[in-house]
Amino acid sequence: MTDTATPSDTGLDVEDLDAAAADAAADLDAPTANNAGDHGADEHDDHATSLGLSNMKLAMWLFLGSECLLFGALISTYLLSKTRFLTELVAGNPNVIEGLMGEEAVEALPDGTRGSIENVGEIFQEMAAEASVEPIFDIPFTSFSSFVLLMSSLAMVLAHKATEEGDYKNQRIWLAATATMGSIFIGGQIAEFTIFFREGLTFGGSLFGSAFYTLTGFHGVHVTGGIVMLMALLILSFRGKLNSDRAETVELVGLYWHFVDVVWVLIFTIVYLIP
Amino acid sequence: MAVIENNPMALPVGESANRASNPLGVFARPRAVTGLKDWLTTVDHKKIGIMYGSAAMFFLLIGGAAALALRIQLATPNSSFLSADAYNQAFTMHGTVMVFLVVMPIGAAFANYLLPLQVGARDVAFPRINAFSFWVFLFGGLMLNTSWFLGGGANGGWFNYAPNNGIIYSPSHGIDFWNVGLLIAGIGSLTGAVNLITTVLNMRAPGMTLMRMPVFVWMTLVTQFLLLFAIPVLTVAQILLLMDRNFGASFFAVDLGADPLLWQHLFWIFGHPEVYLMILPAFGIVSEVIPTFARKPIFGYPFMVFSGVAIGFMGWGVWAHHMFVSGLGPLSVSAFSFATMFIAVPTGVKVLNWLATLWGGKLTLNTAMLFAIGLVTQFTIGGISGVSHAIAPSDTQQTDTYYIVAHFHYVLFGGALFGFISGLYFWWPKAFGYKLNEGHGKFNFWAMVLGFNLTFGPMHILGLQGMPRRMHTYDDAMGFNLWNFVASIGSFILAIGTLWVLVNAFISYRAWKAEGRPDVGPDPWDGRTLEWAIQSPAPEHNFDVTPQVTALDDFWHQKYNEVEHGKLKRVATGAELAQPGNGEGVHLPAPSYWPIFLSASMPVIGYGVIFSLWLLVPGLLMMTAGLFGWALEPADDLDIDDHGHGHDADDHELVGAH
Amino acid sequence: MHNLRPTPMMKRSLAIAALGLFLSACADDKPLNTFEDRGPRAKQLNDLMYPWIWGIMALVFVLVVFGGIALTIKNRVAPEDFDPDDLPEQVHGNPKLEWGWTAVPAVILAVISIPTIITIWSLEETNDERNADSTTLCDGPLDVMVIGQQWWWEYRYDTNCNGFFEDVNGDGVVDDTDKEWPLEIALDDDDLVVANQLVIPTGEQVDLIITSRDVIHSYWIPRLNGKRDAVPGRIHTWNIEADAPGEYNGWCTEYCGLSHARMRMSAVALTPAEFQDWLAEQTAPADIPNEEADHLAWEGRQLFQNNCASCHVVTEDENDPDDVAFDYGQDFEASLAARAAPNLTHFASRTVFAGAIFSQYRGVDADDDDLFTKLGLTDDDPANDIPYTELGESGLQLNEVQLRRWISNAPSMKAMDPDNLLGMPAFPQLTEEDLEALVAYLETLD
Repeated sequence: MTDTATPSDTGLDVEDLDAAAADAAADLDAPTANNAGDHGADEHDDHATSLGLSNMKLAMWLFLGSECLLFGALISTYLLSKTRFLTELVAGNPNVIEGLMGEEAVEALPDGTRGSIENVGEIFQEMAAEASVEPIFDIPFTSFSSFVLLMSSLAMVLAHKATEEGDYKNQRIWLAATATMGSIFIGGQIAEFTIFFREGLTFGGSLFGSAFYTLTGFHGVHVTGGIVMLMALLILSFRGKLNSDRAETVELVGLYWHFVDVVWVLIFTIVYLIP
Repeated sequence: MAVIENNPMALPVGESANRASNPLGVFARPRAVTGLKDWLTTVDHKKIGIMYGSAAMFFLLIGGAAALALRIQLATPNSSFLSADAYNQAFTMHGTVMVFLVVMPIGAAFANYLLPLQVGARDVAFPRINAFSFWVFLFGGLMLNTSWFLGGGANGGWFNYAPNNGIIYSPSHGIDFWNVGLLIAGIGSLTGAVNLITTVLNMRAPGMTLMRMPVFVWMTLVTQFLLLFAIPVLTVAQILLLMDRNFGASFFAVDLGADPLLWQHLFWIFGHPEVYLMILPAFGIVSEVIPTFARKPIFGYPFMVFSGVAIGFMGWGVWAHHMFVSGLGPLSVSAFSFATMFIAVPTGVKVLNWLATLWGGKLTLNTAMLFAIGLVTQFTIGGISGVSHAIAPSDTQQTDTYYIVAHFHYVLFGGALFGFISGLYFWWPKAFGYKLNEGHGKFNFWAMVLGFNLTFGPMHILGLQGMPRRMHTYDDAMGFNLWNFVASIGSFILAIGTLWVLVNAFISYRAWKAEGRPDVGPDPWDGRTLEWAIQSPAPEHNFDVTPQVTALDDFWHQKYNEVEHGKLKRVATGAELAQPGNGEGVHLPAPSYWPIFLSASMPVIGYGVIFSLWLLVPGLLMMTAGLFGWALEPADDLDIDDHGHGHDADDHELVGAH
Repeated sequence: MHNLRPTPMMKRSLAIAALGLFLSACADDKPLNTFEDRGPRAKQLNDLMYPWIWGIMALVFVLVVFGGIALTIKNRVAPEDFDPDDLPEQVHGNPKLEWGWTAVPAVILAVISIPTIITIWSLEETNDERNADSTTLCDGPLDVMVIGQQWWWEYRYDTNCNGFFEDVNGDGVVDDTDKEWPLEIALDDDDLVVANQLVIPTGEQVDLIITSRDVIHSYWIPRLNGKRDAVPGRIHTWNIEADAPGEYNGWCTEYCGLSHARMRMSAVALTPAEFQDWLAEQTAPADIPNEEADHLAWEGRQLFQNNCASCHVVTEDENDPDDVAFDYGQDFEASLAARAAPNLTHFASRTVFAGAIFSQYRGVDADDDDLFTKLGLTDDDPANDIPYTELGESGLQLNEVQLRRWISNAPSMKAMDPDNLLGMPAFPQLTEEDLEALVAYLETLD
């Protein structure tokens, strides 16, 4: 009997607020024997679930379905905020300019234009037309970290395959590789945030800043949660507890990991590539 | 069975047995089966269901008290019973509490108690998560209500439109509590949804195909899917607000170009499915009660199922009808007006199918049935008035007036709450082993019907006469005096009627105890679904033997044989067929400390976000400890023999063998 | 009671007040009733619903609710009479019937949706499309800018005929690039600005250009049309039209914070000729009281300058750049406090104050049904016939009690939160004499 047949208790118990630690434990907190339906007197039952899909896996799919709406709403918010931000910037809304570039930017204007909405508008309209907000992005840099993240999905697949085959050496190598690549991505994100912040893109200063940091930050938290899960799997593996009949645990983490990757492909396209 | 190995971090089975020699004894499962500790650590879906119901009743008292305060204030023009600020807090908290902490959890209470029983499962798919869902809802709700003592409740309305919800226009902490409290409660709804959907889809008894599931199970399934997809949208809206209010973001800063309608869109994309997920469980309940007391199967089962599913789908395409006057432009308004009208179709199908079930039936008019018919009639009134504001031009006169207040109270009070009370009377003997008193029940019903119509009926008139909502006062010259006074009188009758549920429970319990606790029997109503095939109150292990299902209303068909087309003959009583409640050999999930412990960390973090980020340190530590405790907790505590039900040797062997 | 100087403006406002009193005294006991339409737009909404749609709804109500009750009564069986071996026929459904009651309502609703959608689009028609021959203002029909704020309404009339919006970026056209917070497009400060009371001509659709300065409000005069939200950062168009002269009331209908219940509207419809007079008088600068002849008011003006003028504007000189209406500045907090209060240039010509919650004038004997007749008012020409000499006896006087209390302690009469820059603060430093002087000054602002 495989574990897919066993209803189980999982830890998909947290929303994204408490994402990192919780998501990690979500997986660790794998099935227990205290499942309800299939014990005791009904041993004759073959323990198959009604859909033939294990409870854990079904629950993970449902959770990811819910996550789709979460990221969908966040991405919509980003798109709306960015559009409004750019319109206001082009229109020379002095609040937007001050929020984006600081009071100094407004005060550095030539005398006579300061405080005069008309002129401020004109000047920044030109600025905005020439250099909209995109050039702040370092596309090659982010492309590299995105590539690393995408490759980690491949490593994740290989880790699952190794687990199924009972090849524990490769299992550990690929789990470690996945976690490392995820960490490189997170490192890249931290570096990027730092640079942007220094360049003046503050969290609260503009709609764009708020939406950008919230969207990518939320995704980063999800990746971090995935890394914690992978590390936990690695520890289990070294303790000899992640054998081939536990392959589903690896698969579940993999599902989550692939989902987070796919979401990043979307975010990367929408935030970085589409002008 | 590979179950133990399946939990790699958990301690081996049996290691927890001897606490003295077990350095990690703290991770042992709690053992209490009665008393407070049992309730705090239980993972039994029935106990959790009862706790959901009790918590909802408690919050109902808070929300009801707020409602009465509103009605006292509005009974007379220019009243000074409540200040403007107090009134704003009261109506905001009334709406928030009633929606999130009363109607939703009562739905969860019935779902928790009944879903496993009706699909023939021993518990939900993830019992500990089930407990976690409840506790996190409770702590979120309690946290929300502590705002009354910590600087005042939220005052932005339950819809909490931006930018009035921003820190500039609402500088008190009320909206922070609203925001964080509901975020926390939302976690519970989400985990609950995952859990219950998995249970329904995956843990049905053999033969229980989807189209043999009781309508209640179907409606709850749709409800939980709505929750699963709606809650994250609200979560996003609330996170944006949290970032704005507490971390200086500018999502709703109009001076930076933000569009305040973003909040409305996000809120109502959540909010309209929310409306349906409040009413659908009640639809499910009356779809069980009416056939039982009409002694006929539900008319048009597939239509009942698919209309419910259709409502679930269509609920996603109509959110902007809350925004007909928000300036969306005529194209959007036309589209949403058109879509909204058609949501009346599946709802109408349900109402007509209930009536067709009554047609030609032999109706037993007990309290449960009265409340069910109450739902059909009262909800219909709300449904009809709904059509008049689906017509967008007409809605420009009606929206944000008392006409709308009347409409959604007919739908949510006359609909959802009547349905829930019907279910309470119906399943009370199954849960507690005695029936509620019928005499008091009838009083309960008639007081509620009278009070309800006196309270909300006149609001139709007030709204059409131009009385807007959310007004803390009105003038003498506006012509609103009479009907407001009538509504206020009605609200007290309604309050007495609603309280009578509790009074009746108390009276009935006393009478039952005085009579020496007679056995109500497994099947007091001649029921149709699986929960009546077990003893009352439902044994902790639910079914001695997993039932084999061969038809819709399987239990009914075991009792009655069809002698000729459409004619039935009784071949057995429910009591003869019911399982004896012998839990020999049944192995149940053991209780756990961790759900409540983990949940308790949430409000600590919540207070931290509101008052001081330093509180996040103990909060996050608690959460981490909770998660590790949860993960490391032994899979089970097999050596507890006094668990109210034994474990046979096979079970141990079974575990060891794999 | 101060000396009321007879001016045409005051006469007109008194006439309006008298009309209001008259209406509230007899016929008009439900001033917000949505069924009593007083203009073609509101009538359009009622015509859409009545009789057919309300009729269908009533029919469904009777059939389902009373049918359900009848069915219940007919089929009830006392529990003791119930025989488990004599069950009703087990009907599982009837697909034809069920498809039928799926399809029939769908068809009915589809039919209903046709006039619905036609009306939705019709309501968006501008006054240019409907009043092609009107030359009320700037050679066209009247547009009014409606600006909501906590908790009163400001109205702007494009009296300088250069549109409502400024050419902020100086490119010669007013378009989407002329943006400035809190409005999408910057307002033209030189227009006529009035507060609390909207004045419109009868018999002509007036387009409203609605926005908000702070939170979301909703503009609603139920007898003239439905409502539309005033959303900060957005401009919404809506329209109203009144058939006959009179005062039409409304309430803000989107929850807008603390004093939402005290944010009301008063719309006065005048005949086109009267409206032109009103417009001419309103655009004139305010009178400055003579120090000798009207010393009390002169003192009041000094007090006003010292205590009120930082928020309230009284335009005494059209060419003084500081005398313009509130400048929609860049600093949010300053914009809440500075010069953002109702424009008081022609305060005494209005019949309401404080967010249209108090009458500026009141009858000594408001129950007097004959008031209307006594004043000799007629529908055609309400203003001209007010015999000033009769004012004293006719029972109209300034609502001085509430006005004084309002000036000295507004938050006690309408919930406000001046500590958080929301609303008008109290002025405990003003003495009784000060208040008397201020009221005397305000009376001169007609």
